[in-house]
Amino acid sequence: MREEQTFAQDCAEILRDELVAGRIDRRTFIKGLTALGLAPALLGGAGALSRAAMAQGAKPKEIVVANFGGDAVPAFTDAFAKPFEAKEAVKMVIDGSGPSTGKIKAMVDAKKVIWDVIDSGTGQAAQLGEAGYLEPIDYSIVDKTKLDPEFAYKWGVINYYFSTVLAWDSTKVQGTPTWADFFDTKKIPGKRMFRRTGLAMLEPALMADGVPADKLYPIDQKRAMAKIASIKADSLYWNSGAESQQLMRTGECVMGILWHTRANILERDSGGRIKWTFAGGILQPGIWVVPKNPPAGSAWAHKAINAMQDPAGQVLLLERMGNGPANPAAAALVKPEFARVNPSSPENMKQQVKFGGEWWMANQEQLTQAFLDMISS
Amino acid sequence: MADESRIGAGRSTRSLGWAIVMFLVLPITIVVPVSLTDQRYLSLPQDGLSLRHYLHLIQSAEWLSSIGQSFVIALGSMVISVGAGTLCAIGCWRIGTRWSETIRVLMLVPIIVPTIVYALGLYRLWVKLDLLDSYFGVMLAHGVTGIPYVVIIVSTSLASFDPRLEQAARNLGASVPYTLRRVILPSILPGVISGSIFAFIHSWDELVLVLFIASRSIFTLPRRIWDGINEHLDPTMAAVATALVLVTALLLVLDMRARRLRAE
Amino acid sequence: MTATAAAGAPSGRRLVLMNERTAYWLMVAPAALLMAAFYFYPLAEVLWISVTEPKPGLDNYAQLFTSASIRRTIVTTLRICVLTTAITILLGYVVAYVLVHASPRAQRWLFLGVLVPLWISVLVRAFAWVTLLAREGLINTTLRDAGLIEQPLALIWNEFGIVIGMVHYMIPYAVLPLYANMRDIDPRTVSAARGLGGSRFYSFRRVFLPQSLPGIIGATVLVFIFSLGFFVTPAILGGGKTLMIAEYISLQILDLLRWGLGTMLASTMVLFIFVLLAALARVVDLKRLFGAG
Repeated sequence: MREEQTFAQDCAEILRDELVAGRIDRRTFIKGLTALGLAPALLGGAGALSRAAMAQGAKPKEIVVANFGGDAVPAFTDAFAKPFEAKEAVKMVIDGSGPSTGKIKAMVDAKKVIWDVIDSGTGQAAQLGEAGYLEPIDYSIVDKTKLDPEFAYKWGVINYYFSTVLAWDSTKVQGTPTWADFFDTKKIPGKRMFRRTGLAMLEPALMADGVPADKLYPIDQKRAMAKIASIKADSLYWNSGAESQQLMRTGECVMGILWHTRANILERDSGGRIKWTFAGGILQPGIWVVPKNPPAGSAWAHKAINAMQDPAGQVLLLERMGNGPANPAAAALVKPEFARVNPSSPENMKQQVKFGGEWWMANQEQLTQAFLDMISS
Repeated sequence: MADESRIGAGRSTRSLGWAIVMFLVLPITIVVPVSLTDQRYLSLPQDGLSLRHYLHLIQSAEWLSSIGQSFVIALGSMVISVGAGTLCAIGCWRIGTRWSETIRVLMLVPIIVPTIVYALGLYRLWVKLDLLDSYFGVMLAHGVTGIPYVVIIVSTSLASFDPRLEQAARNLGASVPYTLRRVILPSILPGVISGSIFAFIHSWDELVLVLFIASRSIFTLPRRIWDGINEHLDPTMAAVATALVLVTALLLVLDMRARRLRAE
Repeated sequence: MTATAAAGAPSGRRLVLMNERTAYWLMVAPAALLMAAFYFYPLAEVLWISVTEPKPGLDNYAQLFTSASIRRTIVTTLRICVLTTAITILLGYVVAYVLVHASPRAQRWLFLGVLVPLWISVLVRAFAWVTLLAREGLINTTLRDAGLIEQPLALIWNEFGIVIGMVHYMIPYAVLPLYANMRDIDPRTVSAARGLGGSRFYSFRRVFLPQSLPGIIGATVLVFIFSLGFFVTPAILGGGKTLMIAEYISLQILDLLRWGLGTMLASTMVLFIFVLLAALARVVDLKRLFGAG
């Protein structure tokens, strides 16, 4: 990115450094910027001024990355925002207010977009993109060699890996259960747990029903749903990751399908009573999307995405939250103690099934409704 | 009073009433030990009691600022709801025509419509008025949606108020505001107070609108709890709840003290 | 609160000269204007979507009759709400009744008990119920340790758990209007009935109950309408198996981008309540319900 910087911007950056270091005062700083013709871009916030300045290649005031809050806000700040600021001298802030699809639509409809980059999912990206609410990912800025091209979609691009895995209560289940055991309530009595939206719940059902892991897609939805419905009386469904943890921790369920990040915390917090495995897990991508007309400009949003593909930040995110690095080059940097829980390490990847993004992009919307209808009937 | 209680509630009714109140308090008996848990998620203590969640509460700038924000917003929106709602209920009651009845029924709409639907419209309007992520924006939204509670409760109070009292005052030459202040308001005061409590709580506990119209600067208590719930069922929220219950109880005890002193 | 309300009215001297009716309409004005500008206007814009998205027409409304999923959600919602309302009003009535007849000291303790749960966020309360009612929860383990049960009772992850959670949430909303109404019932009317030789129950039924009817109806309407909009508690206590209408709408809007369908259901709910109130007006005097003596 450094190469694309104009000389004026470089001067502005020096000024800014001086200001931060306290060697010049704010007034001098602004004077200097005005002299360089950059004041509106760096000081003026939203609106036409900064947008016009951005068209000339100037820096935006800030880049806003939206995610779903909680620990992910400080973790994203350390892993992505701080390195980005150091490198680009553009502030990056993490807004944890929860970018649901409906909110993105409302924002774009109202022409008041406040986010530049959004942490989203495969199905949502397709749904929003096809409806005209997203900028297509600009792969001339986002470097495809730094990620698995399979998860480089038109409307979104991978930001990290997570896995949907099988966890069990080792006081009630002997050995390592399989998906077939999960659906066999006669062999192992007790409650099972699924994610309530149905996302990545069909694959385990099919594997339990005897479909080989490499023949899952296109998914036979009817067959998978019938399998899940067959143990409905013994099933509970979680909404949030914290809820999935609670259901397992309190002994309510003997086996559950949940995110590997949660399973890992459960294992640690329960002193090993809850165990889990990557075997048969569904390896899924988290997806960056860019809403239509982001405040910092599409180019800068994509620059930010590209910068966040740096392995160092992704490894930090793994250490902080357990999210697997999307950049294959990161594997070498992962400390041995984190390698075991890294869904994208080569050894773990082999055990899992790769999420069929194409199928889910086409089907997630109707599946969510159908799944809820099935469990609530 | 003793005389009345002999007339009113028999012993079995009284015990039933107390039992129901016990049921209401039941979750609190669980929230208090949970707030003292030694675990990092909402659960009963396992190996011992710990004050660390209280410590976290008073040391955490985030939680404290959320409590402060929620308090200011709830107070502001309560003033809007109670001011507008009480006047409206009295006005409609006194006018008593088909038109005023229609207005009163329309006031119910905010509790009928799922909040998420209103949140969408609110978001678009707030964009136009530049009220997103501001104190005033949230107060106004909570204030307006709190009006129905006040109207309903005050109206219920008015239902048993004898309108002849008001008429008598007016006939004696009292102005409308005077009658309002000296005759109507004192007798419906319990209703107005109930209404205020509900208006306050409505804002204090409101999440859906806030999730829509707040982003970076407004972070109310429900939003903080929501964040904690999705993360790891953060027990800090149990500590907050316990602290609030204690404050409420303390105020009530102080009030009782004061009354007893005055009585002596 | 007195100060606030009074300060909202224009100064007295001018008002005396004004038509009395105008003065009362002026009192209605602030609320009416606030609601019109900041509630009804934005809401109307959204509800309009129900006839314009995905394409203009009444297609969204046709789904009311064709979609099994919507029908099931509506039935579930009505079942849970009616049950919740009935239990809430019954329990709330008892509490309000005891409250009016209690000594001032007992009254304050009862009030504390009624009001204190309101301070606990609905989310925290839902999880408190989970801790109490779950398989390994406090109630089941206590009963098991006492040797009363062998197998844990299914107190949660079903409609039983949902109704417990909802009734708990709603009782204060029933008690306060009921209490506000009962407080104004002249105790002498009841003692007169007692004095004339009526049994306690007889004088309650013939004298007290009829006078508390406005409170009952008001509280019922409030609780029923309010419970229709519930979804956090049902989603958590129902183990994810219960889908109520408010959550259904939220899902369409937040996750599925089917705004036309979501807003159609919202419009239908509003219409349904108005029809209900209109029907109620034939049976009871709505004016009485909403206070016009």
